Amino acid sequence: MAFLRLRDISVDFPIYSVGSRSLKKILFNTTSQGNLARDARDRVTVHALADLNLDIEHGDRLALIGANGAGKSTLLKVLAGIYEPTGGRLHADGRVSALLTASVGLNPDATGRENIIIRGMYMDVHPRDMRPRVDEIADFTELGPYIDMPVRTYSAGMMVRLCFAVATAVHPEILLMDEWLGAGDASFLHKARKRMEEFVSSTSILVLASHSMPLLEEWCNRAILLDRGHIVAAGDVAEITALYNARSG
Amino acid sequence: MVIVAPSETRTAAAPLPPEPSRARLAARDLAEGLAKSWMWTALALEDIRLRYRGSMLGPFWLTISTVVMAAGMGLVYSQVFRVQTESYVPYLTVGLILWQLIASLINEGCEVFVRAESVIQQVPIAFSIHVYRSVCRNVIILAHSLIVIPPMLLLFGIRVDWHVLEIIPGLALLIANGVWITLLLGVFGTRFRDISPIVGNFMQVLFFLTPIIYPIEALREWRGIATWNPFFAAIDVVRAPLLGTVPEGSSWVILVLWTLVGSALAFALFARFRGRIAYWI
Repeated sequence: MAFLRLRDISVDFPIYSVGSRSLKKILFNTTSQGNLARDARDRVTVHALADLNLDIEHGDRLALIGANGAGKSTLLKVLAGIYEPTGGRLHADGRVSALLTASVGLNPDATGRENIIIRGMYMDVHPRDMRPRVDEIADFTELGPYIDMPVRTYSAGMMVRLCFAVATAVHPEILLMDEWLGAGDASFLHKARKRMEEFVSSTSILVLASHSMPLLEEWCNRAILLDRGHIVAAGDVAEITALYNARSG
Repeated sequence: MVIVAPSETRTAAAPLPPEPSRARLAARDLAEGLAKSWMWTALALEDIRLRYRGSMLGPFWLTISTVVMAAGMGLVYSQVFRVQTESYVPYLTVGLILWQLIASLINEGCEVFVRAESVIQQVPIAFSIHVYRSVCRNVIILAHSLIVIPPMLLLFGIRVDWHVLEIIPGLALLIANGVWITLLLGVFGTRFRDISPIVGNFMQVLFFLTPIIYPIEALREWRGIATWNPFFAAIDVVRAPLLGTVPEGSSWVILVLWTLVGSALAFALFARFRGRIAYWI
Protein backbone atom coordinates (compact mmCIF):
# COMPACT_ATOMS: atom_id res chain seq x y z
CA MET A 1 0.00 0.00 0.00
CA ALA A 2 1.29 3.41 -0.90
CA PHE A 3 1.65 5.99 1.84
CA LEU A 4 3.36 9.28 2.68
CA ARG A 5 4.09 9.98 6.33
CA LEU A 6 5.59 13.26 7.47
CA ARG A 7 7.07 13.96 10.89
CA ASP A 8 8.10 17.47 11.90
CA ILE A 9 9.02 18.30 8.33
CA SER A 10 10.73 21.67 7.90
CA VAL A 11 12.18 23.26 4.81
CA ASP A 12 14.44 26.28 5.05
CA PHE A 13 15.43 27.85 1.79
CA PRO A 14 18.73 29.61 1.65
CA ILE A 15 18.44 32.48 -0.80
CA TYR A 16 21.72 32.94 -2.59
CA SER A 17 22.10 36.38 -3.99
CA VAL A 18 24.32 36.55 -7.03
CA GLY A 19 27.11 37.71 -4.77
CA SER A 20 27.00 35.14 -2.02
CA ARG A 21 26.75 32.35 -4.53
CA SER A 22 30.13 33.15 -6.01
CA LEU A 23 33.26 31.66 -4.65
CA LYS A 24 34.95 35.05 -4.81
CA LYS A 25 32.73 36.53 -2.17
CA ILE A 26 33.32 33.67 0.23
CA LEU A 27 37.06 33.74 -0.37
CA PHE A 28 37.13 37.48 0.18
CA ASN A 29 35.06 37.12 3.28
CA THR A 30 37.40 34.54 4.71
CA THR A 31 40.48 36.57 3.90
CA SER A 32 39.28 40.05 4.76
CA GLN A 33 37.04 39.24 7.69
CA GLY A 34 38.13 35.71 8.42
CA ASN A 35 34.61 34.57 9.05
CA LEU A 36 32.93 32.11 6.76
CA ALA A 37 30.23 31.28 9.29
CA ARG A 38 29.12 34.85 9.38
CA ASP A 39 28.50 34.77 5.70
CA ALA A 40 26.42 31.68 6.27
CA ARG A 41 24.47 33.40 9.01
CA ASP A 42 24.08 36.61 7.06
CA ARG A 43 22.35 35.02 4.15
CA VAL A 44 18.60 35.24 3.96
CA THR A 45 16.71 32.07 4.79
CA VAL A 46 13.08 31.51 4.02
CA HIS A 47 11.18 29.11 6.22
CA ALA A 48 9.04 27.51 3.55
CA LEU A 49 7.63 24.74 5.71
CA ALA A 50 7.63 24.45 9.50
CA ASP A 51 7.06 21.31 11.58
CA LEU A 52 4.57 19.58 9.36
CA ASN A 53 2.96 16.40 10.66
CA LEU A 54 0.75 14.58 8.26
CA ASP A 55 -0.17 11.04 7.27
CA ILE A 56 -1.43 10.41 3.77
CA GLU A 57 -2.65 6.87 3.29
CA HIS A 58 -4.07 4.71 0.52
CA GLY A 59 -7.31 6.15 -0.81
CA ASP A 60 -6.60 9.68 0.33
CA ARG A 61 -7.32 12.51 -2.09
CA LEU A 62 -5.71 15.42 -0.35
CA ALA A 63 -6.32 19.04 -1.30
CA LEU A 64 -3.65 21.62 -0.48
CA ILE A 65 -5.25 24.97 0.08
CA GLY A 66 -3.51 28.23 0.81
CA ALA A 67 -2.58 31.63 -0.53
CA ASN A 68 0.39 32.16 -2.81
CA GLY A 69 3.58 31.48 -0.92
CA ALA A 70 1.89 29.34 1.71
CA GLY A 71 4.18 26.42 0.88
CA LYS A 72 1.98 24.29 -1.35
CA SER A 73 4.50 23.78 -4.12
CA THR A 74 7.35 23.23 -1.69
CA LEU A 75 5.31 20.60 0.10
CA LEU A 76 4.61 18.86 -3.22
CA LYS A 77 8.32 18.82 -3.98
CA VAL A 78 9.08 17.34 -0.59
CA LEU A 79 6.42 14.66 -1.10
CA ALA A 80 7.86 13.92 -4.54
CA GLY A 81 11.29 13.35 -3.04
CA ILE A 82 12.80 16.26 -4.97
CA TYR A 83 13.54 18.41 -1.93
CA GLU A 84 15.11 16.60 0.98
CA PRO A 85 13.58 18.31 4.03
CA THR A 86 16.04 20.31 6.13
CA GLY A 87 14.37 19.04 9.29
CA GLY A 88 12.15 16.14 10.27
CA ARG A 89 11.57 13.18 8.02
CA LEU A 90 9.43 11.72 5.33
CA HIS A 91 8.66 8.04 5.06
CA ALA A 92 7.15 7.15 1.72
CA ASP A 93 6.26 4.08 -0.21
CA GLY A 94 4.88 3.83 -3.73
CA ARG A 95 5.82 5.06 -7.17
CA VAL A 96 5.45 8.82 -7.27
CA SER A 97 4.69 11.00 -10.24
CA ALA A 98 4.72 14.75 -9.91
CA LEU A 99 3.05 17.03 -12.43
CA LEU A 100 4.42 20.28 -11.13
CA THR A 101 4.82 22.56 -14.11
CA ALA A 102 3.80 21.86 -17.63
CA SER A 103 6.54 23.58 -19.56
CA VAL A 104 9.64 22.10 -17.98
CA GLY A 105 11.13 18.70 -18.57
CA LEU A 106 11.08 18.63 -22.35
CA ASN A 107 14.23 18.64 -24.40
CA PRO A 108 13.72 21.40 -26.99
CA ASP A 109 16.03 19.85 -29.58
CA ALA A 110 14.44 16.42 -29.53
CA THR A 111 11.27 15.65 -31.47
CA GLY A 112 7.93 15.10 -29.77
CA ARG A 113 8.29 11.37 -30.25
CA GLU A 114 11.79 11.33 -28.75
CA ASN A 115 10.60 13.37 -25.81
CA ILE A 116 7.95 10.78 -25.08
CA ILE A 117 10.66 8.10 -24.90
CA ILE A 118 12.96 10.31 -22.79
CA ARG A 119 10.26 11.23 -20.33
CA GLY A 120 9.35 7.55 -20.07
CA MET A 121 12.94 6.81 -19.10
CA TYR A 122 12.85 9.36 -16.32
CA MET A 123 9.72 7.61 -15.07
CA ASP A 124 11.69 4.37 -15.04
CA VAL A 125 10.09 2.90 -18.15
CA HIS A 126 12.53 1.21 -20.50
CA PRO A 127 12.43 2.57 -24.10
CA ARG A 128 11.61 -0.99 -25.20
CA ASP A 129 8.37 -0.83 -23.17
CA MET A 130 7.65 2.77 -24.09
CA ARG A 131 7.97 2.41 -27.87
CA PRO A 132 4.72 0.45 -28.39
CA ARG A 133 2.82 3.18 -26.55
CA VAL A 134 4.28 6.14 -28.39
CA ASP A 135 1.65 6.08 -31.13
CA GLU A 136 -1.22 6.11 -28.67
CA ILE A 137 0.34 9.07 -26.85
CA ALA A 138 1.07 10.86 -30.12
CA ASP A 139 -2.54 10.38 -31.23
CA PHE A 140 -3.79 11.89 -28.03
CA THR A 141 -1.77 15.07 -28.55
CA GLU A 142 -3.37 15.62 -32.00
CA LEU A 143 -0.10 17.19 -33.09
CA GLY A 144 -0.16 15.37 -36.44
CA PRO A 145 3.11 15.66 -38.35
CA TYR A 146 4.51 18.02 -35.70
CA ILE A 147 5.15 15.03 -33.48
CA ASP A 148 8.28 14.36 -35.57
CA MET A 149 9.50 17.96 -35.36
CA PRO A 150 11.85 19.34 -32.69
CA VAL A 151 9.90 20.63 -29.71
CA ARG A 152 11.43 24.11 -30.04
CA THR A 153 9.26 24.64 -33.14
CA TYR A 154 6.08 24.12 -31.09
CA SER A 155 3.66 26.79 -30.00
CA ALA A 156 2.97 27.13 -26.28
CA GLY A 157 -0.33 25.30 -26.64
CA MET A 158 1.29 22.42 -28.50
CA MET A 159 3.93 22.18 -25.81
CA VAL A 160 1.23 21.85 -23.14
CA ARG A 161 -0.51 19.10 -25.09
CA LEU A 162 2.68 17.11 -25.40
CA CYS A 163 3.63 17.60 -21.75
CA PHE A 164 0.24 16.58 -20.57
CA ALA A 165 0.05 13.49 -22.77
CA VAL A 166 3.53 12.38 -21.79
CA ALA A 167 3.10 13.05 -18.10
CA THR A 168 -0.13 11.09 -17.92
CA ALA A 169 1.12 8.15 -19.96
CA VAL A 170 2.69 6.32 -17.05
CA HIS A 171 0.35 5.53 -14.18
CA PRO A 172 1.88 6.11 -10.74
CA GLU A 173 0.60 5.00 -7.35
CA ILE A 174 1.02 8.45 -5.89
CA LEU A 175 0.11 11.44 -8.01
CA LEU A 176 1.16 14.94 -6.99
CA MET A 177 -0.24 17.83 -8.97
CA ASP A 178 0.22 21.53 -8.95
CA GLU A 179 -2.58 23.29 -10.74
CA TRP A 180 -1.43 23.88 -14.28
CA LEU A 181 -4.23 22.59 -16.43
CA GLY A 182 -5.05 26.13 -17.48
CA ALA A 183 -3.49 26.16 -20.93
CA GLY A 184 -4.64 24.63 -24.16
CA ASP A 185 -7.77 25.30 -26.17
CA ALA A 186 -11.26 24.37 -25.06
CA SER A 187 -11.60 21.11 -26.98
CA PHE A 188 -8.27 19.88 -25.69
CA LEU A 189 -9.16 20.89 -22.14
CA HIS A 190 -12.26 18.73 -22.32
CA LYS A 191 -10.23 15.79 -23.57
CA ALA A 192 -7.53 16.39 -20.98
CA ARG A 193 -10.07 16.42 -18.21
CA LYS A 194 -11.41 13.05 -19.22
CA ARG A 195 -7.94 11.58 -19.33
CA MET A 196 -7.14 13.16 -15.98
CA GLU A 197 -10.18 11.54 -14.41
CA GLU A 198 -9.08 8.10 -15.56
CA PHE A 199 -5.58 8.81 -14.42
CA VAL A 200 -6.62 10.01 -10.98
CA SER A 201 -9.04 7.15 -10.38
CA SER A 202 -6.27 4.61 -10.99
CA THR A 203 -3.91 6.10 -8.42
CA SER A 204 -3.74 5.14 -4.79
CA ILE A 205 -3.03 8.64 -3.48
CA LEU A 206 -3.66 12.05 -4.97
CA VAL A 207 -2.31 15.31 -3.60
CA LEU A 208 -3.60 18.33 -5.48
CA ALA A 209 -2.70 21.97 -4.97
CA SER A 210 -5.13 24.38 -6.54
CA HIS A 211 -6.93 27.67 -6.15
CA SER A 212 -10.03 26.31 -7.84
CA MET A 213 -12.37 25.31 -5.01
CA PRO A 214 -14.91 23.49 -7.24
CA LEU A 215 -12.08 21.38 -8.66
CA LEU A 216 -10.82 20.49 -5.20
CA GLU A 217 -14.29 19.67 -3.92
CA GLU A 218 -14.88 17.39 -6.87
CA TRP A 219 -11.61 15.47 -6.71
CA CYS A 220 -10.55 15.44 -3.08
CA ASN A 221 -11.82 13.88 0.12
CA ARG A 222 -9.48 15.58 2.59
CA ALA A 223 -7.94 19.01 2.77
CA ILE A 224 -5.30 20.90 4.69
CA LEU A 225 -4.96 24.64 4.88
CA LEU A 226 -1.42 25.98 4.71
CA ASP A 227 -0.39 29.41 5.87
CA ARG A 228 3.20 30.58 5.77
CA GLY A 229 4.51 27.05 5.99
CA HIS A 230 2.26 25.81 8.79
CA ILE A 231 -0.74 23.52 8.65
CA VAL A 232 -3.38 25.69 10.27
CA ALA A 233 -6.35 23.43 9.73
CA ALA A 234 -7.22 19.99 8.44
CA GLY A 235 -10.52 18.36 7.72
CA ASP A 236 -12.93 17.73 4.89
CA VAL A 237 -12.77 19.81 1.76
CA ALA A 238 -15.97 21.85 2.19
CA GLU A 239 -15.01 22.79 5.75
CA ILE A 240 -11.52 23.90 4.83
CA THR A 241 -12.51 25.79 1.69
CA ALA A 242 -15.11 27.66 3.75
CA LEU A 243 -12.45 28.47 6.33
CA TYR A 244 -10.03 29.60 3.65
CA ASN A 245 -12.62 31.84 2.05
CA ALA A 246 -13.52 33.31 5.42
CA ARG A 247 -9.87 34.03 6.22
CA SER A 248 -9.02 35.54 2.88
CA GLY A 249 -12.31 37.42 2.56
CA MET B 1 -7.06 29.85 14.64
CA VAL B 2 -6.07 26.19 14.66
CA ILE B 3 -8.55 23.49 13.91
CA VAL B 4 -7.33 19.93 14.01
CA ALA B 5 -9.85 17.60 12.54
CA PRO B 6 -10.32 13.98 13.74
CA SER B 7 -8.56 12.67 10.64
CA GLU B 8 -5.30 14.14 11.96
CA THR B 9 -5.37 12.22 15.22
CA ARG B 10 -3.94 9.16 13.46
CA THR B 11 -0.78 11.18 12.87
CA ALA B 12 0.88 9.88 16.00
CA ALA B 13 -0.19 6.30 15.34
CA ALA B 14 2.51 4.96 13.06
CA PRO B 15 6.08 5.34 14.32
CA LEU B 16 8.62 5.62 11.50
CA PRO B 17 11.52 3.22 11.03
CA PRO B 18 14.93 4.65 11.96
CA GLU B 19 16.36 7.13 9.50
CA PRO B 20 19.25 5.89 7.34
CA SER B 21 22.49 7.85 7.63
CA ARG B 22 23.61 10.32 4.98
CA ALA B 23 26.43 8.00 3.92
CA ARG B 24 23.97 5.17 3.45
CA LEU B 25 21.64 7.35 1.40
CA ALA B 26 24.55 8.47 -0.76
CA ALA B 27 25.74 4.89 -1.24
CA ARG B 28 22.21 3.86 -2.14
CA ASP B 29 22.00 6.70 -4.66
CA LEU B 30 25.26 5.60 -6.31
CA ALA B 31 24.29 1.92 -6.36
CA GLU B 32 20.75 2.51 -7.64
CA GLY B 33 22.10 4.74 -10.37
CA LEU B 34 24.70 2.18 -11.39
CA ALA B 35 22.06 -0.54 -11.56
CA LYS B 36 20.07 1.54 -14.06
CA SER B 37 22.75 1.21 -16.71
CA TRP B 38 20.11 0.98 -19.43
CA MET B 39 18.88 4.44 -18.48
CA TRP B 40 22.16 6.30 -18.51
CA THR B 41 23.46 4.53 -21.60
CA ALA B 42 20.28 5.36 -23.50
CA LEU B 43 20.38 8.98 -22.28
CA ALA B 44 24.07 9.29 -23.20
CA LEU B 45 23.40 7.99 -26.71
CA GLU B 46 20.48 10.39 -27.00
CA ASP B 47 22.77 13.28 -25.95
CA ILE B 48 25.25 12.41 -28.68
CA ARG B 49 22.54 12.00 -31.28
CA LEU B 50 21.06 15.39 -30.43
CA ARG B 51 24.41 17.15 -30.18
CA TYR B 52 25.37 16.05 -33.69
CA ARG B 53 21.92 16.15 -35.25
CA GLY B 54 22.10 17.33 -38.84
CA SER B 55 25.85 16.78 -38.98
CA MET B 56 26.90 14.19 -41.53
CA LEU B 57 29.88 12.79 -39.64
CA GLY B 58 28.62 13.38 -36.11
CA PRO B 59 31.17 12.64 -33.38
CA PHE B 60 33.65 11.63 -36.07
CA TRP B 61 34.25 15.34 -36.63
CA LEU B 62 36.07 15.28 -33.33
CA THR B 63 38.15 12.36 -34.57
CA ILE B 64 38.99 14.23 -37.75
CA SER B 65 39.98 17.39 -35.91
CA THR B 66 42.26 15.31 -33.69
CA VAL B 67 43.90 13.72 -36.72
CA VAL B 68 44.35 17.09 -38.45
CA MET B 69 45.79 18.66 -35.31
CA ALA B 70 48.11 15.73 -34.68
CA ALA B 71 49.33 15.72 -38.26
CA GLY B 72 49.98 19.47 -38.30
CA MET B 73 51.54 19.70 -34.87
CA GLY B 74 53.38 16.43 -35.42
CA LEU B 75 55.20 17.72 -38.47
CA VAL B 76 56.14 21.06 -36.94
CA TYR B 77 57.01 20.03 -33.39
CA SER B 78 59.01 16.98 -34.40
CA GLN B 79 61.33 19.52 -36.05
CA VAL B 80 61.22 21.88 -33.06
CA PHE B 81 61.98 19.15 -30.52
CA ARG B 82 64.28 17.37 -33.01
CA VAL B 83 62.58 14.02 -32.51
CA GLN B 84 61.67 11.41 -35.11
CA THR B 85 58.38 12.10 -36.83
CA GLU B 86 57.40 8.43 -36.96
CA SER B 87 57.55 8.03 -33.18
CA TYR B 88 56.41 11.55 -32.32
CA VAL B 89 53.16 11.64 -34.32
CA PRO B 90 51.67 8.50 -32.70
CA TYR B 91 52.77 9.76 -29.26
CA LEU B 92 51.08 13.09 -29.86
CA THR B 93 47.90 11.57 -31.33
CA VAL B 94 47.31 9.15 -28.47
CA GLY B 95 48.09 11.87 -25.94
CA LEU B 96 45.65 14.31 -27.55
CA ILE B 97 42.87 11.73 -27.72
CA LEU B 98 43.27 10.85 -24.04
CA TRP B 99 43.51 14.50 -23.06
CA GLN B 100 40.27 15.19 -24.91
CA LEU B 101 38.55 12.55 -22.78
CA ILE B 102 39.99 13.89 -19.53
CA ALA B 103 39.30 17.54 -20.33
CA SER B 104 35.72 17.00 -21.44
CA LEU B 105 34.99 14.76 -18.45
CA ILE B 106 36.20 17.52 -16.15
CA ASN B 107 34.65 20.47 -17.98
CA GLU B 108 31.28 18.78 -18.34
CA GLY B 109 31.52 17.47 -14.79
CA CYS B 110 31.22 21.01 -13.40
CA GLU B 111 27.79 21.40 -14.96
CA VAL B 112 26.47 17.89 -14.64
CA PHE B 113 23.68 18.79 -12.19
CA VAL B 114 23.09 22.32 -13.47
CA ARG B 115 22.35 21.00 -16.95
CA ALA B 116 19.98 18.39 -15.54
CA GLU B 117 18.03 21.09 -13.71
CA SER B 118 14.69 20.48 -15.40
CA VAL B 119 14.92 16.77 -14.60
CA ILE B 120 16.06 17.23 -11.02
CA GLN B 121 13.21 19.69 -10.39
CA GLN B 122 10.62 17.33 -11.87
CA VAL B 123 11.41 13.70 -11.18
CA PRO B 124 13.07 12.08 -8.21
CA ILE B 125 15.75 9.91 -9.80
CA ALA B 126 19.15 9.08 -8.33
CA PHE B 127 21.58 11.99 -8.73
CA SER B 128 24.28 9.54 -9.77
CA ILE B 129 22.34 8.80 -12.99
CA HIS B 130 23.40 12.23 -14.29
CA VAL B 131 27.00 11.48 -13.36
CA TYR B 132 27.09 8.09 -15.08
CA ARG B 133 25.36 9.61 -18.09
CA SER B 134 28.05 12.25 -18.49
CA VAL B 135 30.89 9.74 -18.09
CA CYS B 136 29.24 7.29 -20.47
CA ARG B 137 28.74 10.00 -23.09
CA ASN B 138 32.41 10.91 -23.00
CA VAL B 139 33.53 7.29 -23.17
CA ILE B 140 31.36 6.76 -26.26
CA ILE B 141 32.93 9.84 -27.85
CA LEU B 142 36.38 8.50 -26.96
CA ALA B 143 35.53 5.24 -28.73
CA HIS B 144 35.01 7.21 -31.95
CA SER B 145 38.53 8.61 -31.69
CA LEU B 146 40.17 5.34 -30.69
CA ILE B 147 39.50 3.83 -34.11
CA VAL B 148 42.22 5.99 -35.69
CA ILE B 149 44.86 4.38 -33.49
CA PRO B 150 45.25 0.89 -35.06
CA PRO B 151 45.73 2.19 -38.65
CA MET B 152 48.11 4.84 -37.35
CA LEU B 153 50.23 2.27 -35.52
CA LEU B 154 50.38 0.23 -38.72
CA LEU B 155 51.27 3.28 -40.78
CA PHE B 156 54.20 4.20 -38.54
CA GLY B 157 55.26 0.61 -38.13
CA ILE B 158 54.94 0.53 -34.37
CA ARG B 159 55.12 -2.98 -32.97
CA VAL B 160 52.83 -3.85 -30.10
CA ASP B 161 52.83 -7.12 -28.18
CA TRP B 162 50.49 -8.54 -25.57
CA HIS B 163 51.47 -5.69 -23.22
CA VAL B 164 48.91 -3.66 -25.15
CA LEU B 165 46.29 -5.38 -22.97
CA GLU B 166 47.46 -3.15 -20.13
CA ILE B 167 45.33 -0.41 -21.63
CA ILE B 168 42.26 -2.24 -20.28
CA PRO B 169 43.00 -1.68 -16.56
CA GLY B 170 44.37 1.72 -17.55
CA LEU B 171 41.14 2.81 -19.23
CA ALA B 172 39.12 1.29 -16.38
CA LEU B 173 41.00 3.47 -13.89
CA LEU B 174 40.53 6.50 -16.12
CA ILE B 175 36.77 5.91 -16.15
CA ALA B 176 36.68 5.38 -12.38
CA ASN B 177 38.45 8.70 -12.00
CA GLY B 178 35.95 10.26 -14.37
CA VAL B 179 33.12 9.19 -12.07
CA TRP B 180 34.49 10.68 -8.88
CA ILE B 181 35.71 13.87 -10.55
CA THR B 182 32.29 14.40 -12.14
CA LEU B 183 30.58 13.78 -8.80
CA LEU B 184 32.92 16.11 -6.90
CA LEU B 185 32.91 18.93 -9.44
CA GLY B 186 29.20 18.45 -10.03
CA VAL B 187 28.40 19.17 -6.38
CA PHE B 188 30.87 22.08 -6.21
CA GLY B 189 29.83 23.49 -9.55
CA THR B 190 26.16 23.54 -8.56
CA ARG B 191 26.85 25.48 -5.40
CA PHE B 192 29.47 27.81 -6.87
CA ARG B 193 28.72 28.74 -10.43
CA ASP B 194 32.16 30.13 -11.11
CA ILE B 195 33.82 26.76 -10.58
CA SER B 196 33.18 25.93 -14.21
CA PRO B 197 35.19 28.80 -15.79
CA ILE B 198 37.91 28.45 -13.16
CA VAL B 199 38.29 24.78 -13.98
CA GLY B 200 38.23 25.57 -17.71
CA ASN B 201 41.22 27.90 -17.31
CA PHE B 202 42.99 25.48 -15.04
CA MET B 203 42.67 22.72 -17.64
CA GLN B 204 44.32 24.90 -20.28
CA VAL B 205 47.33 25.41 -18.07
CA LEU B 206 47.43 21.72 -17.20
CA PHE B 207 47.50 20.83 -20.87
CA PHE B 208 50.88 22.52 -21.17
CA LEU B 209 52.16 21.17 -17.84
CA THR B 210 51.40 17.60 -18.86
CA PRO B 211 53.72 15.83 -21.31
CA ILE B 212 51.36 15.53 -24.28
CA ILE B 213 52.90 17.66 -27.00
CA TYR B 214 56.42 17.02 -25.68
CA PRO B 215 58.06 13.87 -24.35
CA ILE B 216 58.70 13.68 -20.62
CA GLU B 217 62.45 13.62 -21.23
CA ALA B 218 62.20 17.17 -22.57
CA LEU B 219 61.54 18.38 -19.03
CA ARG B 220 65.02 17.26 -17.91
CA GLU B 221 65.51 18.37 -14.27
CA TRP B 222 61.83 19.36 -14.08
CA ARG B 223 60.80 15.80 -14.77
CA GLY B 224 59.45 15.48 -11.23
CA ILE B 225 56.50 17.79 -11.88
CA ALA B 226 55.29 15.43 -14.59
CA THR B 227 55.96 12.26 -12.61
CA TRP B 228 53.79 13.49 -9.78
CA ASN B 229 51.15 14.92 -12.09
CA PRO B 230 48.14 12.55 -11.90
CA PHE B 231 47.06 13.67 -15.37
CA PHE B 232 50.36 12.48 -16.74
CA ALA B 233 50.00 9.19 -14.85
CA ALA B 234 46.52 8.69 -16.31
CA ILE B 235 47.70 9.32 -19.85
CA ASP B 236 50.93 7.38 -19.39
CA VAL B 237 49.33 4.09 -18.31
CA VAL B 238 47.27 3.97 -21.51
CA ARG B 239 49.65 5.67 -23.94
CA ALA B 240 52.79 3.70 -23.16
CA PRO B 241 51.37 0.18 -23.73
CA LEU B 242 49.63 1.38 -26.92
CA LEU B 243 52.96 2.56 -28.31
CA GLY B 244 54.81 -0.54 -27.24
CA THR B 245 56.74 1.24 -24.50
CA VAL B 246 56.75 0.90 -20.73
CA PRO B 247 55.00 3.47 -18.50
CA GLU B 248 56.98 5.33 -15.85
CA GLY B 249 57.38 3.14 -12.77
CA SER B 250 55.47 5.62 -10.62
CA SER B 251 52.44 6.09 -12.90
CA TRP B 252 50.35 3.13 -11.75
CA VAL B 253 50.99 3.85 -8.07
CA ILE B 254 50.10 7.51 -8.41
CA LEU B 255 46.98 6.81 -10.42
CA VAL B 256 45.70 4.17 -7.99
CA LEU B 257 46.36 6.41 -4.97
CA TRP B 258 44.73 9.36 -6.73
CA THR B 259 41.66 7.20 -7.49
CA LEU B 260 41.32 6.05 -3.88
CA VAL B 261 41.81 9.47 -2.29
CA GLY B 262 39.62 11.20 -4.85
CA SER B 263 36.80 8.68 -4.52
CA ALA B 264 36.80 8.99 -0.73
CA LEU B 265 36.73 12.78 -0.98
CA ALA B 266 33.99 12.83 -3.59
CA PHE B 267 31.90 10.36 -1.61
CA ALA B 268 32.22 12.40 1.59
CA LEU B 269 31.20 15.57 -0.22
CA PHE B 270 28.32 13.89 -2.00
CA ALA B 271 27.06 12.28 1.21
CA ARG B 272 27.15 15.62 2.99
CA PHE B 273 25.49 17.74 0.29
CA ARG B 274 23.38 15.33 -1.78
CA GLY B 275 20.21 16.64 -0.16
CA ARG B 276 21.13 20.23 -0.98
CA ILE B 277 21.67 19.85 -4.72
CA ALA B 278 17.99 20.32 -5.57
CA TYR B 279 17.91 23.56 -3.53
CA TRP B 280 21.04 24.96 -5.10
CA ILE B 281 19.88 24.54 -8.66
